[in-house]
Amino acid sequence: MALNPPLDQAVEIEVPAAGGGWTQAVREFCRARPLGAIGAGIIVVMLVVAVAAPLLAPYDPVVNDFASMLAAPSAAHWLGTDAFGRDVLSRLIYGSRTALLVGFGASVLGATLGAVLGVASAYFGGRVDLYLQRVMDVFLSFPLIILALALVAILGNSIPNLILAIMIPMIPRSALVIRSSALAIREMPYVDAARAAGFGHGRIILRHMLPNVMASYLIMLTAFLGQAILLESSLSFLGLGVQEPIAAWGLMLRGAAVEFAEAAPWMAVFPGLAISLSVFAFNLFGDSLRDALDPRLKTQ
Amino acid sequence: MHKYLLKRFLLMLPTLFGVALVTFLLIRVIPGDVVELRYSGDRGAVSQELLDRERARIGLDQPVWKQFVTWMGGVLRFDFGTSMWTGAPIWEEIKLRFALSFQLAIMATAVAVLLAIPLGVLAALKQDTWVDYSVRVFSIAGLSMPSFWLGIVLILLLLVVFKWLPPMVYTPFWTSPTQNLAQLIWPALAVGYRYSAIATRMTRSAMLEVLREDYIRTARAKGLMQKLILSRHALKNAMLPVLTVVALEFAFLIGGLVVTEQVFNLNGIGLLFVQAVAQRDYTLLQALIMLVAGAFIVVNFMMDIAYAWLDPRIRYR
Amino acid sequence: MRRPSLLSIALALTVLTAIAWPAAAQDKPRSGGELIFVVPSQPPSYDGHQEETFGLIHPLAPHYSTLLKVDPFDKTGTKPVGDLAESWTISKDGVTYTFKIRKGVKFHDGSDLTSKDIKATYDRIVNPPPDVKSLRKAAYAAVQSIDTPDSHTVVFKLKWPESSFLLNLASPWNFVYKADILAKDQKWYEKNVMGTGPFTFVEHVKGSHWVGKKNPHYWDKGKPYLDGYRAIFISSSSAQVAAVRGERAHIQFRGFTPADRESLVSALGPKITVQESAWDCALMVAMHHEKKPFDDKRVRRALSLALDRHAASKTISKIAIVRDVAGIQVPGTPWATPPDELEKLAGYGRDINKSRAEARRLLKEAGVPDGFAFTFKNRGIPQPYEPLGIWLIDQWRQIGLNVKQEVVEASAYHPMLKRGDFETAMDFQCGFIVEPDLDLGRFLSNSDANYGRHKDTVIDDLYVRQARATDPEERKKLLRQLEKRLLDDEVHVMYTLQWHRIIPHSSKVKGWTITPSHYLNNQLDTVWLAE
Repeated sequence: MALNPPLDQAVEIEVPAAGGGWTQAVREFCRARPLGAIGAGIIVVMLVVAVAAPLLAPYDPVVNDFASMLAAPSAAHWLGTDAFGRDVLSRLIYGSRTALLVGFGASVLGATLGAVLGVASAYFGGRVDLYLQRVMDVFLSFPLIILALALVAILGNSIPNLILAIMIPMIPRSALVIRSSALAIREMPYVDAARAAGFGHGRIILRHMLPNVMASYLIMLTAFLGQAILLESSLSFLGLGVQEPIAAWGLMLRGAAVEFAEAAPWMAVFPGLAISLSVFAFNLFGDSLRDALDPRLKTQ
Repeated sequence: MHKYLLKRFLLMLPTLFGVALVTFLLIRVIPGDVVELRYSGDRGAVSQELLDRERARIGLDQPVWKQFVTWMGGVLRFDFGTSMWTGAPIWEEIKLRFALSFQLAIMATAVAVLLAIPLGVLAALKQDTWVDYSVRVFSIAGLSMPSFWLGIVLILLLLVVFKWLPPMVYTPFWTSPTQNLAQLIWPALAVGYRYSAIATRMTRSAMLEVLREDYIRTARAKGLMQKLILSRHALKNAMLPVLTVVALEFAFLIGGLVVTEQVFNLNGIGLLFVQAVAQRDYTLLQALIMLVAGAFIVVNFMMDIAYAWLDPRIRYR
Repeated sequence: MRRPSLLSIALALTVLTAIAWPAAAQDKPRSGGELIFVVPSQPPSYDGHQEETFGLIHPLAPHYSTLLKVDPFDKTGTKPVGDLAESWTISKDGVTYTFKIRKGVKFHDGSDLTSKDIKATYDRIVNPPPDVKSLRKAAYAAVQSIDTPDSHTVVFKLKWPESSFLLNLASPWNFVYKADILAKDQKWYEKNVMGTGPFTFVEHVKGSHWVGKKNPHYWDKGKPYLDGYRAIFISSSSAQVAAVRGERAHIQFRGFTPADRESLVSALGPKITVQESAWDCALMVAMHHEKKPFDDKRVRRALSLALDRHAASKTISKIAIVRDVAGIQVPGTPWATPPDELEKLAGYGRDINKSRAEARRLLKEAGVPDGFAFTFKNRGIPQPYEPLGIWLIDQWRQIGLNVKQEVVEASAYHPMLKRGDFETAMDFQCGFIVEPDLDLGRFLSNSDANYGRHKDTVIDDLYVRQARATDPEERKKLLRQLEKRLLDDEVHVMYTLQWHRIIPHSSKVKGWTITPSHYLNNQLDTVWLAE
């Protein structure tokens, strides 16, 4: 229902953007959706920081320096140092790599696999749909964090496993939404026409149905990005995510940061802000994107 | 209607069975076992013979399919067995914790609704103005903060600023309402704020949609007071998707507050879950996941029924 | 009787810094009040003989008496004194122990305690019936017979003399149960509480709290001082600190971190008293002897030489619950090697540059290339495992090794060690009494807990000889030899730093003395609350 916008209109928004020039579309988005633009701006900055981490970080994020442990923010260490004398700013900068890698990896894979299953489920209908839906229901009923926790415990905690653990709970959520969008398209005349013309299932799904659920897909993807970063930091905080001495924001909040929360608040405050700000940016952008792609919510 | 109801009800059963099966297999794949954990402690100096004997006593030496059949047999009679860690009946372990988690879920949902409805309506009425923007920033900010971080910051604030800490032990509401609320109001606020974001967004978009419908325009044209329009027409129609989101969140909150319960030391389902995972208490874990997933599935079912009841077209789809 | 010399206590005292001891000697105990303490773990059942967590000892020890106990005011935790035993004698050949049992001791149900109850209790521990899991049975392998010549005498006969026997009778786990109840139902004590201790049982709310109240008929007249106690179960460490800081609890008997100590002291000032002690827990690095290059003792030696233990003792001790540089025994206790002698072992020297140069030379000699990479497995517990892991990796980096850490979830850790699925891994152990037999049995070639899988008959032989040595000086000598063999000649395993127990508690709490073990001294009979 609410998750099932009339997609032909949504596509219209996309197409001129692709044809009529990127710059104009971006300018239009910034004017109409200032919040979304702010979110996008933060995301771009994050991406730049992550890519240029070795150039930007003033210190090696791994090397211990017991001479300057728990140092307060100063000219030498802008955001202070942690319990091992490691520069908090440098670890934040390198931590953005972990966050983005896991965030993008898990949400792109999760949303895409979910989309494929959702479209297939809607397209084939009948038995396939029924069975797929039951399987999805089972995974939907598990709370997200619980499923991830079990998966990490089983697989062990490397970054690829972490991506997998965060991705799996996302698949049924994405599939559910994409399926309802796809159900509407399934009945469209051009899909019928394609079928009558004797095109194969694969071709119809790829060429005709997938492009038309693009809007729902993008909405899911941006929503997942924020969730994935948050989930990665939660798992790292619980000791189930990335491993020391690799820099990761959730890991920076584990142990000493909590113990020293009052005596050395910079250890807890800055990673917490980094997580919140990046998730905030993705959510803000996603929220505006949803408004933009859902024509019913357009300003008159 | 009856036919739809029955069909929907029957569809719930394979899902529940699937959850049971996945749960059962999943936790047995996780390395570590309850007997070893309990008896080898920090020294690891316990004989293999004792471990084997204890495993046999609680049935862990049986083939997995046999364990599953035995367990399902019990579940069908609503007998979830005894905890592998404490030896006490599962219901005894869950009872007290459920009371706390249930109350907290109600309180947090109340906070979320009290925030979401007025803010969502406000944002819709003032779409694309600074009011709309502030509401969205406020609600999205809540959703963006890691819950463990928010909890720790909140506790530290209470301790540093007010030199006061919420009670550490749960008192049932009817024993002492003040003690009870003094403990639960803080996590309820933290969680409620966090989960108000999605409901706020749903309220806002539902309101926007409704506000464009013709009869509202007509009503507006007739010059009725806006407040009246909102309560009589718009809000009523906007309620359904919002209600869905709120209900599903409520179902999730009963068992999903793993981190919050740890930070605030709440003796609830989430904390028990963490404990059961750490102790590899299979029987308790199975029951807990069935409870959490069951709550979700039942709420989902009830929402479907509500939709079908309000919108007859669904029944025939 | 006994060994903890004044010297060792004095030594322990001088090593400790920034500590205010509870002024137990000067103040006159005051009666009344409820002690509220935090317990970070929980009792699975109520039966001390069958469990292995301090989460059982802390709430339950006040309900029970034991035959002997460790002197509640002895900071080394090695001095046995009588609890239900009024006095005892040991025969010349060291195999017959005769105990006189206190008269007039009553169970909480009003019945009298006799030697029959002691015998029934120890029969259950030493020769458990089939459905009882006596976890520490192996420590009593020397017992041949337990007899009761009269209603208040118990005689233990041993197969061979064993120097650790008396302390094993002071084990905090060995609650004395009532013979009649055990005769009827060996499992009764799993779900019920009924002892002769200073407090009687009131209620247990699972996952929440445990309450005990004063036993008015306790044998030691005038004690206990408290009207009762309340144990609150809190698993999150930040919530535990918050409880003490928010004055919702007086004390947590396991231990807090250095950071917690600082924040409590700075927030509450004189309202907080800090007690500290070396802790009878050790973190060691196990190196798998069947995996290359760790089969080469030069490599193992290099890994130990790379550690700047003395510097870490000053720095890491600010962020983790470790402090003293130690060998195989808790520093400051009777069997520990004195610091200057310890410095002769590999990796214990003061000159770190020299040690590291030696380490690099050994690695080269063993054919290990610069930048050699291996995995270090660590247990997923914040204190002190994780900070020590980060430190170890950084230390090894400084001799040209590239170590990757793999943190394994705490509950899956033991099986991993047992399977031998590691190259190097953090190994750990905590003792409930400071006694070499309990700490060192794991290094025997055939031990289940010998995770590095070394085979060394010299160690096996030294172990048995020290265990049966009746002369303390002789035993010390054998222990030094064992230590040198284990940590220096062969480097089968390496010790990091000794754990450090820090108990910042409400200054109202008096009459409680810290010991090296969080399993000891929790009967609460001597504890009282000021004001």
